[in-house]
Amino acid sequence: MMNVLEIQHLSKQFGTHQVLRDLTFQVPEHSVYGFLGQNGAGKTTTMKIILGLLKADKGEVKVLGETVRYGFAKTNRRVGYLPDVPEFYGYMKAEQYLRLCGEITGLSAKEICSRSEELLSLVGLSEEKKKIRGYSRGMKQRLGIAQALLNEPGLLICDEPTSALDPLGRKEILDILSKVREKTTVLFSTHVLSDVERICDRAAVLKDGSLALSGSLEELKAQHRKDSLCLETGTPGGQKLLESEFQKKGYVFGVEKKNGVLIFHTSDMARLETELMICMTEHNICPLKMEVQKPTLENLFMEVIS
Amino acid sequence: MNELMEYMPFLIPVIILELVLMVTALVHVVRHPDYRFGNRIFWILIVMFIQFLGPVVYFVFGRGDE
Amino acid sequence: MRAYWAFTKKELLESICTYKLLILGCIFLMFGFMNPFIAKITPELVKSFMPGGISIDLPAPSAADSWMQFFKNVPQMGLVVLAILFSGMMAGEIQKGTLILMVTKGLSRTAVLCSKFTVAVLLWTVSYAVCTGVTYGYTVYFWKTKDIDHLMPALLGVWLFGVLLLASDLLGSVISKSSYSSLLFTGIMVAVMFLLNIVPRIRKFNPMRLVSEPYGLITGALKTSDFSRSFLMTGVLLLILLVLSGIAFQKKQL
Repeated sequence: MMNVLEIQHLSKQFGTHQVLRDLTFQVPEHSVYGFLGQNGAGKTTTMKIILGLLKADKGEVKVLGETVRYGFAKTNRRVGYLPDVPEFYGYMKAEQYLRLCGEITGLSAKEICSRSEELLSLVGLSEEKKKIRGYSRGMKQRLGIAQALLNEPGLLICDEPTSALDPLGRKEILDILSKVREKTTVLFSTHVLSDVERICDRAAVLKDGSLALSGSLEELKAQHRKDSLCLETGTPGGQKLLESEFQKKGYVFGVEKKNGVLIFHTSDMARLETELMICMTEHNICPLKMEVQKPTLENLFMEVIS
Repeated sequence: MNELMEYMPFLIPVIILELVLMVTALVHVVRHPDYRFGNRIFWILIVMFIQFLGPVVYFVFGRGDE
Repeated sequence: MRAYWAFTKKELLESICTYKLLILGCIFLMFGFMNPFIAKITPELVKSFMPGGISIDLPAPSAADSWMQFFKNVPQMGLVVLAILFSGMMAGEIQKGTLILMVTKGLSRTAVLCSKFTVAVLLWTVSYAVCTGVTYGYTVYFWKTKDIDHLMPALLGVWLFGVLLLASDLLGSVISKSSYSSLLFTGIMVAVMFLLNIVPRIRKFNPMRLVSEPYGLITGALKTSDFSRSFLMTGVLLLILLVLSGIAFQKKQL
């Protein structure tokens, strides 16, 4: 599998603030790659460097095998970009704007016609006769996607495409993004985990300017497979006993106490369950509630970034 | 009267020019109610009663961004 | 190249939609009417302001007076309007962020600059031609003389100075963030030229001469060759401004 995007040892500093430190990752072809991280983690900076809009202090970025140079737009012809808040020329209509983009990116007049028609219907704007200045946020975002896909890019970069939208608009954008995955590779940044779980097959988590975690969604979940079990007991003294008893066991990573609930992290859930039951009966501890927790991306994310 | 006739070749096109500018600006003021500063009444007065400069000032400084 | 044409078309459309073409056209059309009109009406005005009883002999206004008005009004007011109208030629788009999508679609930054400058020069040329045409028409109509000495080089000089102002607006607006500071940049450039005009030896090379003394050509006090150094200097300065804009814009963060 070819890598559409290769980032090697990228570093970037704004004043005294180190935004990216030695960031290295690859995006393989035909994947939807979720780029996660808190606000200010360096997602937008990375994307702007990929697009040649920002200059990296160190490191190299290759898009479809070609090195990106700051200030030059050559590699951009094969990339589609959707900024978090796309700005258009308000006095144009959607079709006019796409024609301008098509001419800039070097499509033939015929291609422009067929592509823009196709894309406008994909994003649901083909019936729209208004000028762009009258568009809502969601409509602008959809036109942004149409614009980004116009040149059939090998890589589509979306910067928080859903962050400013209401639930309906967000669903529309996600649907479109997952529709285009057959034709192109999508890299999109977000801080919304449910978006990633919905459409991504790979994800990377950025923390303090370097990669904290990356891989396919299944891999990530498997790697950090830490099933846990929550237990509430009615006997106050029993908790201490259970805690010290089970901390010793080889298949238990750790026992935490949170708001009066015991949480066991284990690699062998079945064994933990049986032995807990036996232990509780032996010491007359009455369980109030017992619950098995599956790993979610949310837990994983919280664990990584905190 | 004689003098006025002499200046007619100037006056007619200048008046037409002023009217065209005024009407365009007036239509714009009414149809786009967001201004960089001032309000609708203010701009209507400026455009209508300050010859030539009123509409120009409106388009350059007063017209709101989309 | 195709990208350049496409973006130039967009610039033209924009100058229509943002009323820039209309304003510029109207202002210079107005100047076109004003020049011969002021020339014609001045003696009458002077007469009516004179206290009664005193009569002075004023020479009848001539075609040359009409052009004198032209070379006074266009540089003094017209060029100021021009510099103001184009001061935000880059700043607006950089502030709004509309260029980001264009550049990420593969539009080169050089093409952006070239398009902006082409359209600015085009608009200036059209409005200047309209102004000149109207003044010319009325002058011929009222004074029935077609021949004015050295009119062409005098006209060309003012036009070239306008182009220089546009280039300085361009550079100013590339290196600064707002249209006000770009206007300031142009203002400072003109002020420096004004100051340099005091030194007689520099004066011959000063682009300022193209707008401060074109009337000398019409009266015959100056020859076309007296202006050749100023023309050359303006051309050189123009090139420098454009190249600097190109370099600065390449480094500019959008």
